[in-house]
Amino acid sequence: MTDKQNNFTQTASTEDIVNLSTFTSVENYDILVLGGGPAGLAAAVSAHENGASVLLIERERRLGGILKQCVHDGFGLLRYKERLTGPEYAQREIDCFLAAEIPYVLESFVVDVRKEGSGYVVCAQSAAGMKAYSCKAIILACGCRERTSRQVFIHGQRSAGIFSAGTAQYFVNIQGKMPTKRCVILGSGDIGLIMARRLTLEGASVVGVYEIKNAPAGLSRNISQCLDDFGIPLHLSTTVTEVLGTQRVEAVAIEKVDTNMNPIPGTREIIECDALILSVGLLPEIELANALDIPIDPATKGPFVDQSLMTQAAGVFACGNVLHVNDLADWVSWSGEIAGENAAKYCRNPRGFFTNKDGCVGGEPVLLQYSKADFLYVVPQYVSSHGPFPLTLFFRSREDVKDKTITLASGGVTLPSEEALQDGKGGGYISKKYRRIIPSEMEALKVKSLGRLGDAVEFRLKME
Amino acid sequence: MANCAFGVICTKKLGSLQNLLARKYPGVECFEFGDSVRLEGTLGDWETIVRCGKFAAKAGFRAVINDVSLKDFTPPPMRTPPVKDNALQGLTPDVLIIGGGVIGCSIARELSRWQLSVLLVDKEDDVAMHASSRNDGMIHPGIASHPGTLRGEYNVRGNAMYDQICKDLSVPFERWGSLILYHERWFGISARFFLGYRSKALGVPGRHLNRRRLEALEPNITKEANGAFEYPTSGILSPYKLTVALAENAVENDVQISLNTVVTGMDVEHGAITAVHTNRGTVRPRVIANAAGCFCDTVAGMAGDRFFSIHPRKGECCILDKNAGPLSQRSMGLIGLAAAFSTSKGGGIMRTIDGNVLVGPDAYEQPLREDFSTNRENLDAVMNKHLQLINGFNRSQVIAYFAGVRAPTYEEDFIIEGSRRVQNLIHAAGIQSPGLASAPAIADEITKLTLSRIGGKILPNPRFNPVRNASPAMAKLSLKEKQELIAKNPEYGVVVCRCEGISKGEIRAAVRSPLPATSLDAVKRRVRPGMGRCQGGFCTPLVAELLQEEGVESITKKGAGSELFVGSLGDKATEVYPDD
Amino acid sequence: MEIICIVCPNGCRMEASGEGGNLQVSGNLCPKGIDFAKAEITAPMRSLTTTVATVFPESPRLPVKTRSEIPKGKVMEAMAKIRTVVVHEPKKVGDVILPDVFGTDIIATGELAR
Repeated sequence: MTDKQNNFTQTASTEDIVNLSTFTSVENYDILVLGGGPAGLAAAVSAHENGASVLLIERERRLGGILKQCVHDGFGLLRYKERLTGPEYAQREIDCFLAAEIPYVLESFVVDVRKEGSGYVVCAQSAAGMKAYSCKAIILACGCRERTSRQVFIHGQRSAGIFSAGTAQYFVNIQGKMPTKRCVILGSGDIGLIMARRLTLEGASVVGVYEIKNAPAGLSRNISQCLDDFGIPLHLSTTVTEVLGTQRVEAVAIEKVDTNMNPIPGTREIIECDALILSVGLLPEIELANALDIPIDPATKGPFVDQSLMTQAAGVFACGNVLHVNDLADWVSWSGEIAGENAAKYCRNPRGFFTNKDGCVGGEPVLLQYSKADFLYVVPQYVSSHGPFPLTLFFRSREDVKDKTITLASGGVTLPSEEALQDGKGGGYISKKYRRIIPSEMEALKVKSLGRLGDAVEFRLKME
Repeated sequence: MANCAFGVICTKKLGSLQNLLARKYPGVECFEFGDSVRLEGTLGDWETIVRCGKFAAKAGFRAVINDVSLKDFTPPPMRTPPVKDNALQGLTPDVLIIGGGVIGCSIARELSRWQLSVLLVDKEDDVAMHASSRNDGMIHPGIASHPGTLRGEYNVRGNAMYDQICKDLSVPFERWGSLILYHERWFGISARFFLGYRSKALGVPGRHLNRRRLEALEPNITKEANGAFEYPTSGILSPYKLTVALAENAVENDVQISLNTVVTGMDVEHGAITAVHTNRGTVRPRVIANAAGCFCDTVAGMAGDRFFSIHPRKGECCILDKNAGPLSQRSMGLIGLAAAFSTSKGGGIMRTIDGNVLVGPDAYEQPLREDFSTNRENLDAVMNKHLQLINGFNRSQVIAYFAGVRAPTYEEDFIIEGSRRVQNLIHAAGIQSPGLASAPAIADEITKLTLSRIGGKILPNPRFNPVRNASPAMAKLSLKEKQELIAKNPEYGVVVCRCEGISKGEIRAAVRSPLPATSLDAVKRRVRPGMGRCQGGFCTPLVAELLQEEGVESITKKGAGSELFVGSLGDKATEVYPDD
Repeated sequence: MEIICIVCPNGCRMEASGEGGNLQVSGNLCPKGIDFAKAEITAPMRSLTTTVATVFPESPRLPVKTRSEIPKGKVMEAMAKIRTVVVHEPKKVGDVILPDVFGTDIIATGELAR
């Protein structure tokens, strides 16, 4: 038994929060977009272009999400065919959003979301008071959060100087504060690598990046340009096991780990430093999905969705990093567009919308099967031959593999694709050859159509 | 002090203890020290030293002073604040309270009912920095203590006082009840008599639940428990919120609190303390209350009244995410026969007042009084032991963990009495579990002792107001109240901590309270930003910004030495990269 | 020698052999890789992204970058020059913040409103 109220961020005495009669006015929109980062901005624009009335709710002071603090470049190569910095990428999305004159509220924090009739009610708190909004559809675009030192069971002292890489990035790039002179970075996620370079540029010394796994978690270009360029060593199969220093971090203990990631006795080494910066993974922020009791995929830690990016709750869509943690902002924006377009379609005709809920019209999305030994995850988790198309399957392999073919199959049959048949390249099958697939780099398999497949009841993604 | 007859008895006891020690703990010698016994020598491991002390505690002396040292180990000195000034120089308060834990702060508030000048000092940057912020927050019913002990007596009395205190201080408090779970049925049967006797002797209401009734109350309980004893008077609160509230209310009622203030020595003349030296000047109080937690024996020693020893007993706990909160309703722990007679209850699981779940603590003896580090083996054991009690609990729900150090004597009981050697010293010493539950009753008693030591007629403080002027907590308000509050002060609408839903207004109020929060942890203890699942990842920069706005010059996690930043971008830039 | 291409997120692991006009590059998914490898061997270039101080308390830092790449060996020197800048006026993306730093300009990559 779970008490829904208590599952939610604000626990106490909110029983009357969505009792609409307590609000003097309730604003009504087709779609509420929750989050004003790249996913939310793209979703709002796309929903607006598809004829829906949209309100975007952002909890921070400014639009742009986490990109505001990502001052490094490498964004937009897919979307804009240019190498942009995070703020530049964000500004393009913001400009586009503002040009569409879509209403939005800033520094508004969603404190509750409920199903109400066939739609939803959202209550947000801001300096202007408690506001209620009703809508037909919701697009979750609330991004992700960093795993903490506690979630990776770092022991020893709880001194000042233990920061997640994103927090350190905020200190440096937004507030102009230096959180360290000499640090150790645990985890080779991209933010950790980016921060290794950033802190070095600002005069700190980065003793090394330590990764518990036997392969780096971040992109290889970041290993090259952030670590190699500055002579920062990357130590694989090594982790931080203890923090020393009662007030401020004075040192950390590192230990080599075995193949089961357990520390190897006798390998302990003390490294003097004033900070431990963690880049140990990101987790979708699913608080609002939880409040709506939306099923969560244990593999992505985000909601299950079908190819319209609708979750298991009719009318609730998810995009960007709340859906699964992406490597590239470009994919985040792209998923926002898909969610926005489909949410708008849903608003026009909820019952006719292709859905796996009650009232669906054929081609019911079915859970895509895949081997957990080959794949870490695949998104969307539900697929239907009725669309919408194009369908892009995002996946991560479990292992570092070479020369593999990824194939989408139905039952025992590999599906002929219209596109493939037309251009005659793919040999009539939805499959793609990959020279190398590594877990840290998400891959995308684009499917333009599932052709004349009819109501397929089983799909499987295979790696051979 | 020791009259002739007393001396004879002691010498006889001493002799037999000497013989026994020589056999069991070679190298340890014992001496009479007033009416206590003092152990000396060197042993190779700490556990043996503690066992030796406990053994001596059974010999019938008033208390054990255990000066047996650990081979090749020099205990680190007490950590002291770096500040040195004369802020307190020449003060002559009626009462000086040493220690700003829940005991010291309870005493301060209780004394503020009277026309007395009261000064409370604590060496840390905030109140509740040691055991009072490092415990499980349980207001024990009293069933865990042996009848006839002070721990049992004060626990039951203190427990009953909490409804009023928490109401006056606006400290959230619930009596969700607690369960002593058992696995073996035979244990349940025998424990019924044993616990039934205690219930009667101590006056603690309780009842037995079989598996079926237990399941009805706690549907997610696993098969580890075949039955339970339920104690409905068990309560839960946030021990640090309580301590801060007590301190704030004391300040509202004219108590002076001086933080970052450590007592460094005392002048004792003709059996009375005439001066107390601190890093911030010398004060000359009429009466001194010793509520110094793990250092209460050190403080007693400064006054020449060291008649007992503290052996630091560490414990580690972890906190589960709020999504695990609804899975259990009551505090509970599984006990076997051994645990029923041990000095510590062995921890358990409890839904915290803020909706998380606390797991633990464990209990182990070690020589460090201020070591709050955690370690993997202990925490793994805590999780392995307790997470299995509830279906749905698992390691991935852990969002935080911490350690605390209890301050027990070798007699394993509280010392709540006026000094027998120093006429103006009063001890609230050896306070361990259930110290939190006992705090109000202890404060009551210490206040009586203080008043009688001061003597003469002391009038009630006409300005005393038991009700704390608490700042609003958004989470506790109705929608309408929230609307009104935000209309009055829009900062209550701006959410800074997204995990806990804490507004800027609440944080600013904590920084401006009668006992201002000036560090990140102090803000966190009062209003919870950083207590949620992101552990401050998002809100730390924002809280730091707000502290700066409020004039806090150096942003620290927990006082001097824990500065968050090493500088600003561009500081000494040319030094790092000469432009050549 | 192995060269990891940093031009795009593919991060191709390339193998370069030979010298000057005879440079052979393999492992690249696109022609940009060859150009990158050549530059990397002869005169490696990097773009630099960082922030500059502003006088606005609401936005104490403004993100900036080099308009085009600068020699890899000059990155730290460029940082020292950029660090001397304090922005007093509102800026738009692309505005020049500091001209002529190793042959290029330092330009704003974010908006700075008053």
